[in-house]
Amino acid sequence: MEAYLGIDVGSVTTKLAVLDKGSEVIAHLYMRTQGNPVATVQRGLEQVRAELPAGVEICGVATTGSARYLAGVIVGADLVKNEITCHAVGALSYVPEVQTIIEIGGQDSKIIIIKDGVVTDFGMNTVCAAGTGSFLDHQAERLNMGIEDFSRRALESRTPVRIAGRCTVFAESDMIHKQQMGHRIEDILYGLCQALVRNYLNNVGLGKEVRPPVAFQGGVAFNRAIVKAFQEELHTEIVIPPRHEVMGAIGAALLVRDEVSISGRASGFKGFGISGIKYHTSSFECKACPNVCEIAQLSHEKKVLARWGGRCDLWERNQGN
Amino acid sequence: MRIAMPHMGNLYIPFKALFQRLDIDFVVPPLNNQRTLSLGVRYSPEGMCIPFKLTLGNLIEAAELGADTLIMPGGSGICRLGYYARIQEQILHDLGYNVEMVQVGVSQRKLVGILALVKRLSNNAPWLKIISAFRFGLSKLNALDRVEQAVQKMRPVEQTGGAANQLYGQAVAAIDQADDDAALRKAEAEYIGRLHRLDKKASVRPLVVGVIGEFYVVLEPFSNLDVEVELGKLGVEVRRTTFISGWTRFSLFLNPLGVNEKDRLHKAARPYLKRDVGGEGWESVGEKVLHAGHYDGLIHLAPFTCMPEIVAQNIMSRTREDIPVLTILCDEQITKTGMLTRLEAFVDLLGRRRRAKQLVGAGCE
Repeated sequence: MEAYLGIDVGSVTTKLAVLDKGSEVIAHLYMRTQGNPVATVQRGLEQVRAELPAGVEICGVATTGSARYLAGVIVGADLVKNEITCHAVGALSYVPEVQTIIEIGGQDSKIIIIKDGVVTDFGMNTVCAAGTGSFLDHQAERLNMGIEDFSRRALESRTPVRIAGRCTVFAESDMIHKQQMGHRIEDILYGLCQALVRNYLNNVGLGKEVRPPVAFQGGVAFNRAIVKAFQEELHTEIVIPPRHEVMGAIGAALLVRDEVSISGRASGFKGFGISGIKYHTSSFECKACPNVCEIAQLSHEKKVLARWGGRCDLWERNQGN
Repeated sequence: MRIAMPHMGNLYIPFKALFQRLDIDFVVPPLNNQRTLSLGVRYSPEGMCIPFKLTLGNLIEAAELGADTLIMPGGSGICRLGYYARIQEQILHDLGYNVEMVQVGVSQRKLVGILALVKRLSNNAPWLKIISAFRFGLSKLNALDRVEQAVQKMRPVEQTGGAANQLYGQAVAAIDQADDDAALRKAEAEYIGRLHRLDKKASVRPLVVGVIGEFYVVLEPFSNLDVEVELGKLGVEVRRTTFISGWTRFSLFLNPLGVNEKDRLHKAARPYLKRDVGGEGWESVGEKVLHAGHYDGLIHLAPFTCMPEIVAQNIMSRTREDIPVLTILCDEQITKTGMLTRLEAFVDLLGRRRRAKQLVGAGCE
């Protein structure tokens, strides 16, 4: 059976999805990157292989997410694509008439505006990570509850408290202040959800017109309290597509499927066996000019596979030397 | 007396030519680099924009090389830039550099003021000599801009990635070294010829993106993380209205046939914005209106905290003219990864948009 693999390596989580020719998801995986994208991708491949039925042949691989180039070299990707395009393609396959995509992940958040199936505008958080998954995780941890309890308790709120959501540092001190004043924890939690939604619409949405249907995806879409806050703020139904948390990987797999069917080229996929290979990552300072760029490199048995990170392309050109 | 000025793109080359011809001791600080930025950030007030921080870094590095007379644009009626020379002078004095700051008006009709300044700095050289030196500097400026326009065309279509950029680097060096008109003409012709003869990819019609926004971040590649080179790598042709030589066209005396580009932009912006809002805010709105029908998209560059461009950004998102605009805020926090993700997504968007339009067009026939 022909199948296509999409790998989305984000800052906090790594997502894998295997699709068959008819866009059906055969296997998918959602795991923490834990600061080690190389090992995580290797582990992910191992686990996905175990889930796949016999006779599946990978005919195309695409990588996306902030570590897309690194992951692309490791797996031998046929396509390396930015996460905005991948999320849009993924959402369109589940909600074909979607006009607005809200995507909130571990450390960044995006809004994608679609008209007639084509992306017409997008926005990403710029200088602030308030409202992303990492912050919610951190707050749940501080209050000594699991992230699942966070949303359950927040939904029990009846009189939400107003929290300053402009900045995570201020949001946290404001939450502590409200706790010390004796507000109920449920009300503080839901107040925080409302503040984050307001912050998202002001900073990421930046005056863009949010037209229904609205799809909400990414890890934070698991949080029902945030979903409710979005619904109240936007006065519209929010669609949460199935497997929303791996939507970037699904989009990547769909894109590489189309690409391969046009080009007819054989996949460069290095196989599931690469999970046994020892890759080595390191970095050094380039001394060629006063910019002193930090160059990161990926190597295998003393052979350099790829280099990144310079302001100029001096080291990218010298790859493999 | 040793003179220096901050960097903005290749601007140092024509000024070097001008001052050398007048036997003025002119020192060029290192081109913008990480150290320049770190120095600038360290000694600037936090809320200042990236042009302030980088130019301050340049001035400190120039003072380290013994410069005692620093030229900095200034004057009223533009934006906060009007105060930068004075604030930077204060900072340099506090750091213990005994320098004199010379402010030069940058508004459109101040070229005569620059001439008077040069007269003073050159120890009262004869006017004839000054005018001739000025003309030579201007020739270099125009040659640099023409070579840059050639490289903008070649980047997206070159067969071997990076070849056009390499030639461009050599061309800039050759123009810098040319010491008379003949050598200058030869260098320009040679490199423009070589650029055009580069191997091209077969039959590509690249996407066309206009780069608009605040003058400094548009013209100083270090501040915008080489956005034009990155767009070239993605196969996009960059067009730009803002060139340094555009500045000099305002002077009737040096260029009698010059047209005022800005008037055209202001006229185009008029339905949405009727007055100057400082910086290049008015022009940015005008560029969006003018280019909507001709380009596939626009990259709008603005320094973080730049009031005029924030005004422009908010007006641009509401105009009737329909063309995608990606605003990139430049400051020391901007990362290349973040910028590339946005650029790649933007280029995907433009490509899909163009294909969708072509499909609609084909359906009507």
